Amino acid sequence: MLRALLVVSGHELRSRLRDGTALLIALVAPVALASLFGLALGGEDPPLRASIGIVDLDGGDFPTSVRREALATEELQDVLTLRDYADEEQAGAAVDDGEIGAAIVFPPGFSDSVGAGEGGEVTVLTSDSTPLAGVIANSMVDQISALVEARTLAVRASLDAGVPADEVRLFVEENGAAGPTLTLDADPMAGGKVDVAVHYASGMAVLFAYLVVATSTRSLLTDRQLGTLSRLRVAPVPQWTPVVGKGIVGFLLAMTSVCVTWASSVLFFGLSWGDPLAVLVLCGAHVLAATAITMLVASNARTDAQADGYNLGIAFVSGILGGSLVPLYNLPEFLQTLALFTPNGWTSTGLASLAAGGDLGSVVGPIGVVCLIAVVAGGLAALRFRKGLLG
Amino acid sequence: MTDALVCQDLTKRFGRHLAVDSISFTIERGEAYGLLGPNGAGKTTTISMLSGLLRPDAGSVHIAGHALTQDPRAAKARIGYVPQEIALYPELTGRENLRYFGRLYGLPRRTLQNRIAEVLDLVGLTDRADDKVGDYSGGMKRRINIGAALLHEPTLLVLDEPTVGVDPQSRNAILEGVDQLVAAGMSLLYTSHYMEEVERVCKRVGIIDKGRLVAEGTKRELVSRLGTSDRVELVLDGDITAAAEKLRAVDRVTEAVPTGTSSVRLLAEGSRHLLPSFIAAVEGVATITGVEITEPDLEAAFLHLTGSTLRD
Repeated sequence: MLRALLVVSGHELRSRLRDGTALLIALVAPVALASLFGLALGGEDPPLRASIGIVDLDGGDFPTSVRREALATEELQDVLTLRDYADEEQAGAAVDDGEIGAAIVFPPGFSDSVGAGEGGEVTVLTSDSTPLAGVIANSMVDQISALVEARTLAVRASLDAGVPADEVRLFVEENGAAGPTLTLDADPMAGGKVDVAVHYASGMAVLFAYLVVATSTRSLLTDRQLGTLSRLRVAPVPQWTPVVGKGIVGFLLAMTSVCVTWASSVLFFGLSWGDPLAVLVLCGAHVLAATAITMLVASNARTDAQADGYNLGIAFVSGILGGSLVPLYNLPEFLQTLALFTPNGWTSTGLASLAAGGDLGSVVGPIGVVCLIAVVAGGLAALRFRKGLLG
Repeated sequence: MTDALVCQDLTKRFGRHLAVDSISFTIERGEAYGLLGPNGAGKTTTISMLSGLLRPDAGSVHIAGHALTQDPRAAKARIGYVPQEIALYPELTGRENLRYFGRLYGLPRRTLQNRIAEVLDLVGLTDRADDKVGDYSGGMKRRINIGAALLHEPTLLVLDEPTVGVDPQSRNAILEGVDQLVAAGMSLLYTSHYMEEVERVCKRVGIIDKGRLVAEGTKRELVSRLGTSDRVELVLDGDITAAAEKLRAVDRVTEAVPTGTSSVRLLAEGSRHLLPSFIAAVEGVATITGVEITEPDLEAAFLHLTGSTLRD
């Protein structure tokens, strides 16, 4: 049994290695595409920096406390540069010239107005060419607004409760001088960028794994067309030898393809797919399912060309549905439901979980479902082979 | 010593179509057996069951004493199967093809090397052994196709239409090779559309029609079933049904059947002397415009038994 399997697998492996197209699909295409996505979306994130202008026409405590709080932490000092401008016109010119990315204008009497419970408005100047600075300036203003609203409410409540206005003002000056406490979250897009790059690299690996397996399993049909399958079947070897032998080679080549894509994304772009053991097991389960599905296709197709058509369709439909090409969260809800019927959907979900720091235990579910798909597809393929190709 | 092949009551059904109906025959060691039958008669289905490619619905096959269903590996190790199509990898050389198929039979490396050299010599391709099979001529492909089935020195060689689509020179080379194998004592099961090939190669012939083995025997035995009757094809102008009726009444005519719209086929003894009687018999209903007489041979026996020519 083992001898025959080795003979058939060895022959299949040599045939695949001689076939330049197969090597292209197995090694070059996924690495090239993963690299393109890595270059476009991954790698070292540029340091986040923004210069924001402050126009303090108020002269009160509020703008001072905003300036002080904005530069209070080391994290914010690394990110933010504040520059003072005399008026809105100067600040607008500086924004237009690209000298600063955005500016916040505090109008005259702003602090007094807030202290009196009358609220107040600040103006934000932004530029299309520096959206990041605009985001930060608006974020600061949002927090200022929240604080202003809270203070306005508190002052009004105190006045309505009969507290004398002078006492309220004094209270605000003593307790509100610290002004707002500003916090800036880490750039929300930075993490997204790393995740997307990992997503596309692993997505390409998963997508091409199917196509790589398909080149081996479709060769069963090529053998049938050549008549060489008959020779294999009349030889004194177990009847499943051709199917198993080609399946093993397809599985190994697809795993090689996945590992090469994985390694290239780690080495060239510093990406991390997460716990290596879990990634290997999950990808192994995925390739097993791909092997079973391509066997099912081979057991039903009449010619290798027909199998190629089916496999290409299945690869791209399940690739798109399963999030190998487009992240699942970008798909409409009903397509996200359909993704659950594809191995790609479960594998992508598992890989995303691992990239986010999950371990083997966190992907037991996806691995189980993908293995179940492999068992069902493999079982159906076996039944079909018994009636058809090996009948 | 056990027979090379014993098959008994071999039956195969595809859906409602009974492709092979209880076929039984035996091939002795060293015997060349021809299987003849019109297209769709069940030859390929029979050969597929004998070679282990198809599971019979009923019946048994023994190769050199080994039951194909109970002990398939031992039985298959004793069959050499030459499929009708060229079953080789065109991108591999002749030697690489032989090495691959030889390894499937578990031949040790050294033995395999020697056998490859011997087989290449037998099929006359030693000097082209390292060329890709895809670059071979049709005849060369046919020869290496046979060679791939000989590597493990099978007890029974099954040849399914081995000369289809080859030029006369290559066909002759193939038949000479087969003659050598027979002379060396190899048992052979041979199917062909070419009656003369079967007559040349095989001592015994089985005739299959509509899934049944309708006759079996040596060429002499099969031809003798026709008696000494000639086969006569009369081309007529007129009412051929009435003409056939009148011809049946002629002395020493045993059969007269209208074929097509303008001819009647007869079986008659000493037909060359009966032509005046034929002309007289059809007078008034038809006119004879052509005559073809075939003396008893395997083709005539085949026609008599199956009602059609081999290449119909």
